[in-house]
Amino acid sequence: MTWEQLIGAGVLAAMLRLATPIALAALGGVIAERSGVVNIALEGCMLVGAFFGVVAADRTHSVVVALVVAMAAGVVLAGVHAVAAIHLRSDQIVSGMALNILALGLTSFLDYQFYGSTGTPADLAAVPDVEIAPLAAVPFIGDVIGHQNAIVWLTVVLVVLIQVFLFRTVPGLRLRAVGEHPRAAETVGIAVRRTRYWAVLASGLLAALGGAYLSLSVAHSFTDGMTGGRGFIGLAAMIFGRWTPIGALVASLVFGYGTALSFSLQGASIGDVRVPVQLLSTLPYVLTILAVAGFVGRSRAPAADGIPYETEGH
Amino acid sequence: MPIVSVLFALAVGAIFILASGHDPISAYIDLFRGAFGTPYDITETLIQTIPLILAGLSVAVAFRTGLFNIGAESQLLVGAVAAGAVGARFGFLPGPILFPMVLVAGIGAGAAWAAIAGYLKAARGVNEVITTIMQNYIVVFVIHWLLQNGPMTAPNALGTPASAPIGDGAVLPIIIPNELVPLTRLHAGIFLAILAVVVFWFVLWRTPLGYELRAVGLGPRAAAQAGIDPRSRTVIAMAIAGGFAGLAGMIQVTGVFHRVFDGFSAGYGFDAIAVALLGKNSPIGVVLAALLFGAFARGGSIMQANAGVSAQLVSVIEAIVLFVIAAELIVRIIARRRGPKPLEAIA
Amino acid sequence: MKRVFAFLVLAATVAAACGGGNTAGTTSSPTAAASASPAPTAKPIQVGLVTDVGGLNDKSFNQAANTGRLNAEKDFGLKTSVIESKKQEDYVPNLTTFAQQNYDLVIAVGFLMQNAAWKVAKQFPNVKFAIIDGAPANDAGNTENLPNVANLFFKEQEAGYLVGVVAATMAKNKVGKATHNTVCSMGGIPIPPVDRYMAGYQDAIKTVSPTTTILIGYSNDFVDQQKGKEVGLNQISKGCDILFQVAGGSGLGYIAAAKEKGVYAIGVDVDQIDVAPGTVITSAIKRVDKAVYDTSKAVKDGTFKAGDSSFNATNDGVGYGKLDPVVPADAKAATDKALADIKSGAIKPKTDLTVKP
Repeated sequence: MTWEQLIGAGVLAAMLRLATPIALAALGGVIAERSGVVNIALEGCMLVGAFFGVVAADRTHSVVVALVVAMAAGVVLAGVHAVAAIHLRSDQIVSGMALNILALGLTSFLDYQFYGSTGTPADLAAVPDVEIAPLAAVPFIGDVIGHQNAIVWLTVVLVVLIQVFLFRTVPGLRLRAVGEHPRAAETVGIAVRRTRYWAVLASGLLAALGGAYLSLSVAHSFTDGMTGGRGFIGLAAMIFGRWTPIGALVASLVFGYGTALSFSLQGASIGDVRVPVQLLSTLPYVLTILAVAGFVGRSRAPAADGIPYETEGH
Repeated sequence: MPIVSVLFALAVGAIFILASGHDPISAYIDLFRGAFGTPYDITETLIQTIPLILAGLSVAVAFRTGLFNIGAESQLLVGAVAAGAVGARFGFLPGPILFPMVLVAGIGAGAAWAAIAGYLKAARGVNEVITTIMQNYIVVFVIHWLLQNGPMTAPNALGTPASAPIGDGAVLPIIIPNELVPLTRLHAGIFLAILAVVVFWFVLWRTPLGYELRAVGLGPRAAAQAGIDPRSRTVIAMAIAGGFAGLAGMIQVTGVFHRVFDGFSAGYGFDAIAVALLGKNSPIGVVLAALLFGAFARGGSIMQANAGVSAQLVSVIEAIVLFVIAAELIVRIIARRRGPKPLEAIA
Repeated sequence: MKRVFAFLVLAATVAAACGGGNTAGTTSSPTAAASASPAPTAKPIQVGLVTDVGGLNDKSFNQAANTGRLNAEKDFGLKTSVIESKKQEDYVPNLTTFAQQNYDLVIAVGFLMQNAAWKVAKQFPNVKFAIIDGAPANDAGNTENLPNVANLFFKEQEAGYLVGVVAATMAKNKVGKATHNTVCSMGGIPIPPVDRYMAGYQDAIKTVSPTTTILIGYSNDFVDQQKGKEVGLNQISKGCDILFQVAGGSGLGYIAAAKEKGVYAIGVDVDQIDVAPGTVITSAIKRVDKAVYDTSKAVKDGTFKAGDSSFNATNDGVGYGKLDPVVPADAKAATDKALADIKSGAIKPKTDLTVKP
């Protein structure tokens, strides 16, 4: 086991790449839950974003259009959840889980219909990497952040923006009020249901962006179920990060680091014993539990999280 | 009214089936007949249902205590591995000794694994959602290692990562004779499942412990003031939840597979969340909701074989039905149109 | 509660109305129409495919098997169907479904189904079965050949060896971008069918170019492309120029890593040269589709042979795929020579890994 394997530039760069989709999903979760709606369908939103982003990239050869379409798909799926959760006040967890199953089945079905035996096309419009020449020349740091994908940078920017929005602006305060005390918020004139709708739609958009990152920046293709549970890891990151954007990012980085390690350590030995590769794969998960148990402890969800709201007088 | 919901969902599904070039009517007939058409079909549906009932109880008992157990999947696997290991290692022992050992191993392992999550929450405040999601993945990889080239790999596994078979004394027998229902695989696990449902009901509603668990679920602060320690109850509740799920895993090993295969059990734990919630965390509800899922699982494969509907479409239809039932869509839309009205009167 | 109950009542009523009285399992039997007709028209042969939990779109052998089925259906006028298994508990019931409906051939795709196939084949001795990548395994875990089951085995190590020769020749001669004399491979999970490919690959490298460094990794996943890509990027950073993927969908990410860094990749199971033209230089082909196709034809022609059948280089059951133009003529020549040697038995590629993770 070498330092290079543990904290080399390659590992840290991988950490950023691996953390990005999780962070985006977690960001979506934060916004939705801060407004009081549990959105378990983040996984499904990621998947539809990944798929429809690929379809749009294939049909229009424009990466911008592809990203817009991807995010729109996430918004649509989240919209269904929003209607069920907010308007119809149904059980938010079951609604979310049903939509996840739906998204997986639908994207797999359409994938087979459109790209059946051939697979998605080889030359899809791709989200470019951002080369920062002067930065890339710097010895260690340059290798870590000098060639990251545009969406990686976008994610960091979004984290900062949403953190500021939630905790330093009036609309953000209103959103949080809706999530903590909807009755009181309504009394002072805040439109509870409308705020929650926007929040849930935004969560779908962000998660879908995470999915599009996977299909358009990383894999350059789509395969069924390619999100592999990142939406759920994102939920865990959200809780780990205490329902704040920056916390969610840190949590995602912890997880991303563990995953990166699980690959860089393949082949490493402890003394004479080779660590089995399957056990290495448990690293990110064990690391996360240890991190939360050791450093985070109790984290409290917004008070009205998951509770459907009945407006007065209807 | 509720039937309208389901019919609506099936109608939406029919559109998809039509779009893929197949006949919805014959597809749905296949779906129903696959699930309930003949006694054999019914036993197959029941086989699919049994682990879902148990996993559903696992999630339900946690919900009753105010905990979200996403980890039923890993608890089930842990129980399965423990049962498989004990059943193989001591396979030479006779049934009356071996079976209880395997039973205890399965339930105990699941309970212990879940109790870790409970303990972390009680002692360190770690949200059980995080712990149980992480535990799900950890267990999968550990089982990969155990069965692919680790200590439990069977020497003659022929490339199938699997453990050694369990002894005959641990096998759950098929309970319906071949003359009555040919080829049936329905095993005695169904009795264990029914017993578990009774235990669930009894513990939660007929014992002081159950009362305390429910009290913690309804309001931890109030419960604490009444002298109930929410933290110890959290650990106990998770242990009970893990025990149910571990039992599910044990039943799959002793009733269906008779050994532990790598990569078995895809998604019972997740389906169980929906099962518990649809069933409103109550005994009969969980059973019925589990039956719904089991029927879809069984009927869905017949639908694929006969009507040619793809497996993904089956999932889509299942998801729509699930969504509609859960959202009580039609009910609520109509209720709202009719203006303020006690929603309790409906359903 | 009531809604679920009502649904079940509805379901049972419909079921009873439509099908009550049938004997075990013969639901809307597709043969009913054909056998009802008095004229002696040949009943179309029915072939049923049961995939394992990977699903039809696994970019790997389930997909290939399905291709074989569709081709056989088209070319021989067969009636075919497929069921995708969602979990391991489904293998036995899915195989039984086809058997109960008197399908002529039921194909179990994958070694995970060895025990399930054994169980069902014993219960239906008049139905023919075929197992891809396996043989019937009884409950004790031992192989037990049955008179109605064809065991279709593939020598993946031969396909791995062939592409290994391509890779070794290019690495040795520093062709194109392959400048570091290092090659690598990635498996999905460490199971024998995966490891056999890589064992043959490593064997070829060691034979043709002993000085070449060999790396190996696993993504521990057959679907996750990001993980496959990370393994690839890791290996490329250690100098690997030719990446051999044996990881289904995850392997596509591995290939993406090669493409991103401008080096080469080798595909697996089917010809993957179109996945990334210019990057994928060849593929290790496993003609699962041919196995399904040939077995279906054999049933139709009445030449079905139970027991072990080997699909290997000799009968074109395995081979190497199209070569990218960058592959020099001497590499192709060496590979063709290796192919001939394997066919003649002069070379027996290893089935155990030389370089382990």
